[in-house]
Amino acid sequence: MTRASVVGAGMTTFGVHESTLAELFATAALDAYDDAGVGPDDVDAFYFGNAMGGQTENDTHLAPKLASEVGIAGVPAQRFEDACATSATAFKNAVQAVEAGIHDTVLVGGVERCTPETGLGTGEMTRIFASASHRQYEQPTGLTFPGVFALLTKRHMHEYGTTEEQLAHVAVKNHANGQRNPRAHFGRELTVEDVLESPVVADPFHLMDCCPFSDGASALVVTSDERADSYDDPVDVTGVGHATDIVPLSAKPVPHATQAARDAAAGAYEQADVTADAMDFAEVHDCFTGAEVMASEAIGFFEDGEGGPAAAEGRSALDGDRPINPSGGLKAKGHPIGATGAAQIVELTEQLRGDAGDRQVEGAERAVAHNLGGDAGTTVVSVVEVRS
Amino acid sequence: MSLSYDEWAASLREGTLLGVTCADCGTTYGTPFSVCNECGGRDLDATDLPEDGEVYSVTTVNVPPVGFEGPYQVALVQVGPARVTARIADDDEVDIGDGVVLDGAMEADDGHPAPVFRRA
Ligand SMILES: [Zn+2]
Repeated sequence: MTRASVVGAGMTTFGVHESTLAELFATAALDAYDDAGVGPDDVDAFYFGNAMGGQTENDTHLAPKLASEVGIAGVPAQRFEDACATSATAFKNAVQAVEAGIHDTVLVGGVERCTPETGLGTGEMTRIFASASHRQYEQPTGLTFPGVFALLTKRHMHEYGTTEEQLAHVAVKNHANGQRNPRAHFGRELTVEDVLESPVVADPFHLMDCCPFSDGASALVVTSDERADSYDDPVDVTGVGHATDIVPLSAKPVPHATQAARDAAAGAYEQADVTADAMDFAEVHDCFTGAEVMASEAIGFFEDGEGGPAAAEGRSALDGDRPINPSGGLKAKGHPIGATGAAQIVELTEQLRGDAGDRQVEGAERAVAHNLGGDAGTTVVSVVEVRS
Repeated sequence: MSLSYDEWAASLREGTLLGVTCADCGTTYGTPFSVCNECGGRDLDATDLPEDGEVYSVTTVNVPPVGFEGPYQVALVQVGPARVTARIADDDEVDIGDGVVLDGAMEADDGHPAPVFRRA
């Protein structure tokens, strides 16, 4: 059943941007307006994601500021914050509002600046990212975000024999896909040796196992199932699952299972009345290579323990049987925190329209997005389909 | 009355790692919660966790946040029925499955303590 439809999608390049948060967001939002063929008068509400603007740029109460920037001052506007799952949560709420008949057409998206353009260095930004870990029971140990995913991944390696080489294959694959994405932060020929020879950030992760700090914005125009027919190329949102897991990490019964992702995926697939097997590809939250391996199992693309071997065998490559992250993922496309979740939906929309150019998954009709936040504390999983 | 964070921290500074055990369902956590996530019970009694533990997972942080100097190891340590997130003592290096023992607390520059374990 269609819950809502995406009729406009836009995003900036992900990388380094000098423009203000508002101008950066406007670039994506105007793209989405133009793609949908709408103007500010058609937008009834604004669901907006930004995770860290208060800490990075002393900039808060951003929803009305950015609404004003894009010509929709006056509409109900609100900011969502769920660490790296920020704009997927905004998207979920937009879909629900449209489905419930509260708003007809909603602008949803996100923006973040994470590069030194904020004036902050690596250590300061690492501390801000780490603010999503538990304040009292994790931050005092000096745990970082690479560290969080390293702890999960190391246990996965212990349980299943997942290897550093298998992890490196994820990076190699996503960089290869990123080369085909003109909006990607990175994308270049990369070998397993290149990854394994790069400096260790938090073992088992080398620098090339980690996504970059990126600036960027993404935006979507979401409208009701009935209204969507009057637009060109709508794609239908048929399932959105959203779950949380216990925080801190130490309280999770099986940390490497990423339970919130399993629960969110089950919810999304059930709403869409499909199984993982029906998905033509996935965009998953590969902030670190190990995160993609765990996500690929949690969303049902591979059996538990098979995510690493599957990556090494090329099964998740663009021409594999279970493509993952055709956009390049966070690893190569980039990870401007609050823009990431909505950008995954931008990729799904373009792929399902057949507009993804060199990175097109041939004949894609149904796809799933997985956006994770914090120390695996939040996950939002969305199923999007070609309008039948 | 549940264990408060301040009580957990004060106890840790004095060398005792406290967890909480749910009086209703028996679940033990390595850190306080106001309500049991298993059963909804509010009667979470402070429990002494054992000093001996086993490394459940561990990583070496080479790129630390502001306020920390790397490299250092952070681990999930299994202590009896619960796990805690902890630092490994500076001169030690441990791997999954290694036996460790509580070695007091460290204090970050924000004044919050973290448990420290050393190789058993
Ligand atoms: Zn209980």
